[in-house]
Amino acid sequence: MNIVACVKQVPDTEAQIRVKPDGSGIEEGGIKWVMNPYDEFGVEEALRLKEKNGGEVTIVCLGPARAMETIRTALAMGADKGIHINDPVFDGADAFTTASALAAAIKGIPHDIIFCGQRAIDDDSAQVGAILADLLGIPQVTVVTKLEFAGSAVKVIRPIEGAQLLIECPLPCLVTAQKGLNEPRYASLPGIMKAKKKPVDVKNAAALGVSADGKAKVVRFVPPPARAAGKIVCADGTPEGKAAELAKLLREEAKVI
Amino acid sequence: MERIPFSVGNEGRQVFWNAETFETFLFLFTAIALLIFAYGIYRRWQLWVALGKPETRLDRLPERVKALLINGLIQVKTFREPYPGIMHGLIFFGFMVLIFGAAFDASEFHIAEPLGWAFLRGTFYLVFSFLMDLFGLAVLIGVLLALYRRYIRRPDGLGYQGKPDNTADDAVVLLLLFGIIMTGFVIEALRIRVTSPSWEVWSFGGWMLAKAFTAIEPEQAKLLHKATWWTHTFLSLGFIAYIPYSRLLHIITTPANHFLVSLKPAGYNEPIRDFETAETFGVGKIEEFTKKQVFDSDACTRCGRCQDGCPAYLSGKPLSPKKLIQDLKTFWLTQAPAAAAARRAVGNAATGAGETGGRGIVFKALDRIDAAVDRMGSGTTAGAASAETALVGGVIDLHELWACTNCLYCTENCSASIEHVPKIIGMRQYKVLTEADFAPELQLTFRNMENNSNPWGIGSHLRADWAKDLGIKTLAEDPAVEYLFYVGCSGSFDDRGKKVSSALAKILKAAGISFGILGTEEGCCGDSALRGGNEYLSQTLVQANIEVMNRYHVKKIITTCPHGYNALKKDYPNFGGEFEVYHHTEIIAELIAAGKITLKKPVEGLFTYHDSCFLGRYNGIYDQPRRILRAVPGLKLTEMERNLAKSFCCGAGGARMWMEEDIGERINNLRTDQAVAAGAGTIAVGCPFCLTMLSDGIKDRKKEETMAALDIAEIVWRAMDLEEAQPVAEACAAPQ
Repeated sequence: MNIVACVKQVPDTEAQIRVKPDGSGIEEGGIKWVMNPYDEFGVEEALRLKEKNGGEVTIVCLGPARAMETIRTALAMGADKGIHINDPVFDGADAFTTASALAAAIKGIPHDIIFCGQRAIDDDSAQVGAILADLLGIPQVTVVTKLEFAGSAVKVIRPIEGAQLLIECPLPCLVTAQKGLNEPRYASLPGIMKAKKKPVDVKNAAALGVSADGKAKVVRFVPPPARAAGKIVCADGTPEGKAAELAKLLREEAKVI
Repeated sequence: MERIPFSVGNEGRQVFWNAETFETFLFLFTAIALLIFAYGIYRRWQLWVALGKPETRLDRLPERVKALLINGLIQVKTFREPYPGIMHGLIFFGFMVLIFGAAFDASEFHIAEPLGWAFLRGTFYLVFSFLMDLFGLAVLIGVLLALYRRYIRRPDGLGYQGKPDNTADDAVVLLLLFGIIMTGFVIEALRIRVTSPSWEVWSFGGWMLAKAFTAIEPEQAKLLHKATWWTHTFLSLGFIAYIPYSRLLHIITTPANHFLVSLKPAGYNEPIRDFETAETFGVGKIEEFTKKQVFDSDACTRCGRCQDGCPAYLSGKPLSPKKLIQDLKTFWLTQAPAAAAARRAVGNAATGAGETGGRGIVFKALDRIDAAVDRMGSGTTAGAASAETALVGGVIDLHELWACTNCLYCTENCSASIEHVPKIIGMRQYKVLTEADFAPELQLTFRNMENNSNPWGIGSHLRADWAKDLGIKTLAEDPAVEYLFYVGCSGSFDDRGKKVSSALAKILKAAGISFGILGTEEGCCGDSALRGGNEYLSQTLVQANIEVMNRYHVKKIITTCPHGYNALKKDYPNFGGEFEVYHHTEIIAELIAAGKITLKKPVEGLFTYHDSCFLGRYNGIYDQPRRILRAVPGLKLTEMERNLAKSFCCGAGGARMWMEEDIGERINNLRTDQAVAAGAGTIAVGCPFCLTMLSDGIKDRKKEETMAALDIAEIVWRAMDLEEAQPVAEACAAPQ
């Protein structure tokens, strides 16, 4: 079984995000980069599939040189090899360009099932997986919390509001992983050491024959407005007075009731 | 040579009285007993060296000899517990004297008398007789105390979870001892009954017993004497022969273990040096322990002192240090014979079959005996199933392995100098590094440390926020300071810990101490990673800190957290971090003594001081915190029952701070109960982990109204009375 897991390197959830003064992006200094947590669920599921049914797990990642660390992390968890799409033209690539590059890389290798995170925690666009499946012309099941392998198909559970869908999807297909799918493993030390020697194929835009034109363009990064200080409702000091004042403020100032 | 008859003025007795013809047989039987003894030791030696990584502990010989004398001979560690200490002392010292006495007798008979130098005469004989009887009686009392303790009083330490772990061997040994002494007295009494010299009143035991024998006719008495003489002889020789095959072996292994004691700082962890080429890490198989670690288990006497204060055991978790060591021993004894046989086979192949000469013959004979003994034993020892059992997760249950708080109570209080904690860390390393199979909450903790260099995973850019309004400079701003205040994770991120950091910073400022912090350049100290089995992560964190500290040429460091203190002191030097490290209680005690700070405002109330394990047992800091508290006006200090070297852990050490505690009672609650029992209103601590645990304990026991936990620094700052009164910002000003 040939399994592919796509990963993205993102800033740690706790990292302090500062926008560059010119709004062209974020300051990267001091940021701890990690594997997108949703992608980690994908990698873990890929490894579990492999451990149960045999096969090989290939990690595909688009990102600058530092993204190699994330590929090594996935290899340390137990993946077999990696493809690193690294080209300055892809800096700031939109979801379509990213998916196109991933599709080009994956087309060249056998793939029975592809895992993506349901979205990346940095831009939250949640599009790459869907576009990738479309470009590869394979079916997709998204936001999956449970996956069962059934020969030539997978049975998955996808939560929707108030219910769960049980979907059976033929292979080859693409699955996007949601929290709850599994508990990603902690890499063993022999795993980390072995990962250093596992093959990673580095490819650029030319090798993949992908243009970086894209469909969307980021015009400017703007930090969210600083949170304003809270307001303490005093009124006349009586509970009734405070409640009346609060209702008035919620209606007239906050306009929420 | 003419013999002067015994008389008043020339008191003495005939050695071998009534047993004149037994000498040859005695020699023969003694030789046989010694051979059995020697062979037993030889066999055991093969098992000791059969498996385990090499570890030579023959450095610093004077210190080792001292340890051997103090704890092996004078038995200082054994005497720390009065009842078993005295009990054991009576037996041990009694026997020592009796053995010397037997040697006197033998040398009198075989050397002195033939040469005409008989020395067991006169006053010397009388004193000698008196001492022999006295110490014989001592052994007897010791044995009775032991029997009473083991079979009637039955303390929990001589069992596991309420069930005694007595073996047949325990009873055999005690009865042997009892038999030897009793027959000794009977022989003496029968001799006195027949010869009845007046001076034998000095042999008071035999003398009194002889009175009971007056009804026996002298001829009968002589016959009875012969029979008892042989009984006594066989019991004594049997005792010698039995040593290597029974718990008596501790006569050899326990002193040897004192000699082989670790001379490293308490709780020292030997770092893993090779991450790149090793295939496995930590201890997953018994042979991955060092030979010394394996030998430890053979020095264990099952006395149970380790268990008596183990926070895991006492809170109902499956871990007992004694059980752990005994389980390792049992497992070693199933594994070692095959390994020893394999070693012998390799040795034989190396020396070659053609070797001749005395040495060769002896060893060949031994090999034959070994093979025969192996065949005899194969039915009883190493069953195939037990040999296949996994060490970690099989022999040692994972709940046991992870219950340890690394509090070091066991090691500190072990009367056999056994080192438990490094074994636990070794096996944890196997689970974490090699297998990556461990508690999910600990995985999260490690990831947090990897990503944000603190166990909570709070953004590392927030590390210095606690100091924002205190005007404290970072070393980046001013590296020319005397001390680095290494704040640590609790002091930087935990709300309670931040207050302690702030209190200490204010104290240092008030005392005019020149210090700075690393700010966001500081990282986690690595203690919890190390003790949680993640040596790889720990070394990464340690090296990152050392790099920063060395860049600023840091010389002296102050910490508020004993975990960082211990790590900086003991682990950092292994990686090029050589610093003078001080705990804040050391610094504050100095400042008070030097008059640099004055405690003027009374802090009323009954306080108790909780010894943090990593401050007390690990680093011997017991006095300074107490000295500080005694210097606070108005403060009354009381002690909890478990204190100093026997202090009870709060439950947070050994990475337990970051793990769920779902078996038995919560350790922090038990410690809180002990403070309640002491009547204390405030638990003073010197450790942020203890502070958290005991604050939680107070909450859990619903004592918030009447009790609190405070760090020493907070108490001192309060007593210094320098806090500028800050106007409380009124949210809703009173209507004018």
